[in-house]
Amino acid sequence: MRSSLRLELVAALAVGLLLAAVPMLIPGNITLLNLGILTFLYVAQGVAWNILGGFAGYVSFGYAAFFGLGAYTTALLWLAGWSPVLTYPIGGLVAAAFSLLVGAPTLRLVGPYFSIATIGVGEAMRILMLNLDKITGGASGLNLPTVVPSKTWFYFVALICAATSYAVAAWIRTSRFGLGLTALRLDLEAAESLGVRTTLFKNLAHIVSAALVGACGGVYATYLQYVHPDTVFSFTLSISLVLIALIGGLGTVWGPVLGAVVFFVVQDYLQTSYPTFHLLVYGLLLLVIILFEPGGMAGLAGRLVARRRGASAGPPAADPAPHAEHERAPMPRADAERPGTERTT
Amino acid sequence: MFTTQNLVSVAIAALLTAGLYAVMSYGLAIIYGVMKVINVSNAGFLMLGAFMTLMYFQWWHLDPVAGAVLNLLPFFGAGWLVYKLLVRRVVSARPIATLLLLFALWLVIQNVALAIWGSDDQSIITAYTYKSLIVGGFRLPLTRLIVFAVALLALSLLHFVLGHTYVGKALRATVQDPQAALLVGIDTERISALAFGLGTALSGFAGSLLTLLFSFTPDFGGPFQLKSFTIIVLGGLENFAGVTVGAAVLALTESFAVLFMRASLQNVIAYGLLVVALIVMPGGVAQLWARTRS
Repeated sequence: MRSSLRLELVAALAVGLLLAAVPMLIPGNITLLNLGILTFLYVAQGVAWNILGGFAGYVSFGYAAFFGLGAYTTALLWLAGWSPVLTYPIGGLVAAAFSLLVGAPTLRLVGPYFSIATIGVGEAMRILMLNLDKITGGASGLNLPTVVPSKTWFYFVALICAATSYAVAAWIRTSRFGLGLTALRLDLEAAESLGVRTTLFKNLAHIVSAALVGACGGVYATYLQYVHPDTVFSFTLSISLVLIALIGGLGTVWGPVLGAVVFFVVQDYLQTSYPTFHLLVYGLLLLVIILFEPGGMAGLAGRLVARRRGASAGPPAADPAPHAEHERAPMPRADAERPGTERTT
Repeated sequence: MFTTQNLVSVAIAALLTAGLYAVMSYGLAIIYGVMKVINVSNAGFLMLGAFMTLMYFQWWHLDPVAGAVLNLLPFFGAGWLVYKLLVRRVVSARPIATLLLLFALWLVIQNVALAIWGSDDQSIITAYTYKSLIVGGFRLPLTRLIVFAVALLALSLLHFVLGHTYVGKALRATVQDPQAALLVGIDTERISALAFGLGTALSGFAGSLLTLLFSFTPDFGGPFQLKSFTIIVLGGLENFAGVTVGAAVLALTESFAVLFMRASLQNVIAYGLLVVALIVMPGGVAQLWARTRS
């Protein structure tokens, strides 16, 4: 386990360095840079979403709220004369503060009820922002300064975002914190009884991932030089993060990386001819995944590797995707019976 | 602005809307009650119901109310199939798997509709769309009256079926305790498929009725879906009578809130109410009422 982990980190580092070298290796290719920037931002967000959605099992449909808050924080501070780079962490902080505000009550809800509540919060935020036209520009959005750094600069910033998300997720995965999240996902009450501080952990996971997504929102705002409530707070964006993580592999560190790359490439390919067609493709893919391979692409890859190993050597390899298998509920049990809050909080 | 006349007419309009709200949420409540599944795909079927009605209207000049009735059977079949082919396979997994599956189904339905009908606003104008009745000094739009009457009729029928037929009783028994229902010889598997069919049929039905009052696009199921969630949560989730109460509470809150704020913020009320209701009163209005009385 330890050695495979080290191998994974070395591989990630190699991929990161290779990607960082791209602007030098293929200079002046704007299309490639654009593709890279948006893909990296998706990677960063997908990986971040997965900290709460995958590790802790709280599937949120409301992450656009964090992205939008980050985007608007950067936009407003930038218009007030700040340097954009300084505003990214502040956008992250604002998103984190909001996630605490929302998460403290809603994370007490069990599974699907949390998901439904997040749809409500996300959509309410979008409509509120659309109506706060004094601040957000309302339905006409905000135009931002046109003096921006080069595409190459954005390429590196986006890459740093993705790398940060990956590093944070990879660290959490191996830490006691990550173990606690896994425990509370598998059985909240059992985790609680073993001394896992579930409320604290859930909220921490929410805050960390919200901060990462908020910072990405800021980068996005400076990159496009324009923010509009309907785009940065859109439900489609929230859905995208769910899809990226699920298709890549819920609860794995590199699954969402894979998911984001596929997601963006499919979207980019189909966008010109059929603007929303990629969502159809992704919806179908999601159906297939939930029915046949709940581990997503990472689970599938793990299974293939295991099969090959099983064919060549005697003992079967360790569980390929331990965190994303069909986790059967033991019985029609308490949380299926009652929507409400957990007993323990 | 706040004359009695005004307030009464706002209340009447709200209650007329509540009928429609109740019908569109009933399916969700039945499915939730029987298998504890939150049917997110409901939004897709609501939208599909509206577009099928548009098709009937364009092909045969069929009135939306007749379209609503016509929708019942195919939508029942569709719901039955969705249960048999998809939901049944994951219903024993974690609840979130079912939610995501139905969410994926919604995405597919919505985007297929986008591919077929495009994203333009559609509406159905009938001969009586702009007519209204004047009763006791209040102007009542005819479409709202018709929708309310049809909704009321559908709800009464449903109430009768649930209360007085074998299937209805079996369904309610399954809601109360699936294991016990199984023990007394109820085929809960079949009841689940039936509930999914019935719930979907009601979505198709409600989708048709919506066309009389609103314009629609392939995206339009979402907001109504969220309102339905609010309603069944307010109603206490498996309390069928609660659906009517929840619908009335939501419609009244929305209508009166608009007197104090911009109309474009109306949906925020519904969504905010959803979150608050989920958190502070998981048992719905009825429980809150019971609690304050004891």
